[in-house]
This record gives sequence, structure tokens and C-alpha cells, in this order.
Amino acid sequence: MMERDREESVDLAQISLRPLQLSDVDDLMVWTTDEKVTKFCTWETYSSKDQGIDFIQNRACEFLWGRAICLNDHAIGFISMTSSSASDKSREKSVELGYVLGSKYWSRGIMTYVVKQVKKVAFREFPHLERLEALVDAENVGSQRVLEKAGFQKEGVLRKYLCRKGKSRDTIIFCVLSTDLDHQV
Amino acid sequence: MERDREESVDLAQISLRPLQLSDVDDLMVWTTDEKVPKFCTWEPYSSKDQGIDFIQNKACEFLWSRAICLNDSAIGFISMTSSSVTDKSRGKSVELGYVLGSKYWSKGIMTYVVKQVKKVAFREFPHLERLEALVDAENVGSQRVLEKAGFHREGVLRKYLFFKGKSRDMVIFSVLSTDLNHQD
Repeated sequence: MMERDREESVDLAQISLRPLQLSDVDDLMVWTTDEKVTKFCTWETYSSKDQGIDFIQNRACEFLWGRAICLNDHAIGFISMTSSSASDKSREKSVELGYVLGSKYWSRGIMTYVVKQVKKVAFREFPHLERLEALVDAENVGSQRVLEKAGFQKEGVLRKYLCRKGKSRDTIIFCVLSTDLDHQV
Repeated sequence: MERDREESVDLAQISLRPLQLSDVDDLMVWTTDEKVPKFCTWEPYSSKDQGIDFIQNKACEFLWSRAICLNDSAIGFISMTSSSVTDKSRGKSVELGYVLGSKYWSKGIMTYVVKQVKKVAFREFPHLERLEALVDAENVGSQRVLEKAGFHREGVLRKYLFFKGKSRDMVIFSVLSTDLNHQD
């Protein structure tokens, strides 16, 4: 599964976030064509570079906020925030976090490090934001660990909440509140 | 919400039917009562026009809805909404909502109605897998209704909704189509 490979540990100082660019498309195709990565995503594994170009040019800008996760300025993943509901005003102080990372870089603390940064960015960039939430497949233990280590609270298991790839999936909901940050690092 | 034994209701007198324009005066009873929308996103109605507008224009926007009637007079309303119109990954989930005149609270009416509608939901929508409901964390009465009607309490979503100037913790409940095979 996800064994720690100490010879290839990453210096987290080499991790940065920046907007995704068209020149990142080859790097993006590495994680979007990897079935291990897309296993718990709502989207299907990419089969053509056109899909990568389409994502960078047309989809990435639809997020409330989105950044490439870079190792020495090469994109190895993507992290984004979406309004929890565009139509429902009662959800306007809530934002949903989503992220994806190339499988070669799993289990090195990268995603936890990035989520901790983005957690602070979220409440700074969106001062009216009160709730940052994330939904994770109940079987995606790695991603649940990321959120727990990054200071998110597990609120419950929502049974058959999402339908991914034709099957209803139990989904775990996590959140961090603006008021939680006052008590965290 | 004290139990008033002198005014218990024979549940056989409770029925569900589509809301009609002729129900507007009855609808105004619960929509103008401040106790009723206390935990709802909407404000108490102040004009009959709002009641007419709801019946004519809003009630039809729900996926499914019915007036809750006592001897055919409307005393409340129950509805189902697609959990998300835009997000296909939520296409097998429907959200339940309901409201009842405060005079009729604590008589087992809402629990009785929710139990019926739970079965109706999975029968009317064969692809439905999940029926969920969100209740304000302070609305203990409504949480009891769902628990007695066989819904599972899944967790408390902190500051999940913001309305009437306040962020609200919401308790999320669900019942699955597969749960029904093991229930009444």
C-alpha cells in the first residue's frame, strides 16, 4: 500500500503552491492517468492529453481557488477550494477542500504539509469563511489521515452519500472552523 | 412541548394530499407562527400573498410534496428535494423537509407522517438509495421525530448552515433503501 520509503523522503522546503499553467500539462498527465490516484475521485482516469489541456484551460479556473502543488516548481498535484453551494445562500460561509497528489509522492508528509498551509490561506483569503470542509471516501484511509494530521475534525460517516463510478459510497465528512485555528498551530 | 392527553389526535385522521390554493388560510396558521420557522431558513409570513405565492409557485418546485392534513384540513407540509440539482454524484440522495403547526406538536403526528413518507420515498423513486434530513442542533423535537421514525443520526456538522444572521450546527440523519428491509 503506502510504505514509507526513507531514501526518497522529500525536503518540504522544496514544496510550493502556484497557479496551474499550460506548461504543466505533461506533469499533470502523470497523476491524471494513474488509476491509483483516481480511484476515489469522481472523475475518470484521463486517456488523452486533450483532457489535461481542457482541465488547465477551462476547469481549473472554475474553482473558487486552485493551485498546483509543486516540487522544485514541477507540478506533482493539485489542491482546490469550491463554494459548498453556488445556489444555496445558507451555505455561503462554507467552502469545500479537494486535493490530489501523484502516487509516487504519497506517504512523505507532503499532502499534510500542503493542507496545513491551505487551511490558513483559506481563512485569510476569505475572511467571511467560517467552515472549511472535506469529503473523503470511507475506504480512502490515507486521505483521512492527512486531514486528521492537518487538524480537521471528523464529524461523521455519511452513508451512501456520493455516487462515484456508478456505485454509492460511504463518505466521511471532516471540517475545520475559523475558530478552531485560534487553538491550533 | 408538554403532552396534552385531552387533545390527543387519532392518527387515522391524518392524511397526505397535494397542497391546494384553498389551503391558504390553514397554511397561514403555521407560517405566521414564530415558533414554527424558528429553525427554518425562512421568516414568518406577514402577508397572505406570501402564502398564495408558496402554494402557486414554490410548492411545485419540490421533487415531491404533500400537505399534512387532519380531517382534510392542512396542518403542515412535508417535502422532498433532490440533494443536489447540479452535482450528479448526489443523484441517488434526496433531502426530507417538514413543518407542522405548533398546536399539533408532541402528539406523534410528525413521526407517523415521516414513517409513511419514508416508505413512499423509496417506492416513488426506485433509484433512490439515501433519504437524508438536516436538523438544527437545538431542535431537539425534530431530532426525536427522525430517531423514532427510524433514521440514523450520522453526526453534527458544525456551522454547516448560515441563516437569520447565525451559523448553525446541523445534525444530519439518513435512512437508506437497505435499512427499510430491516425495519417496520
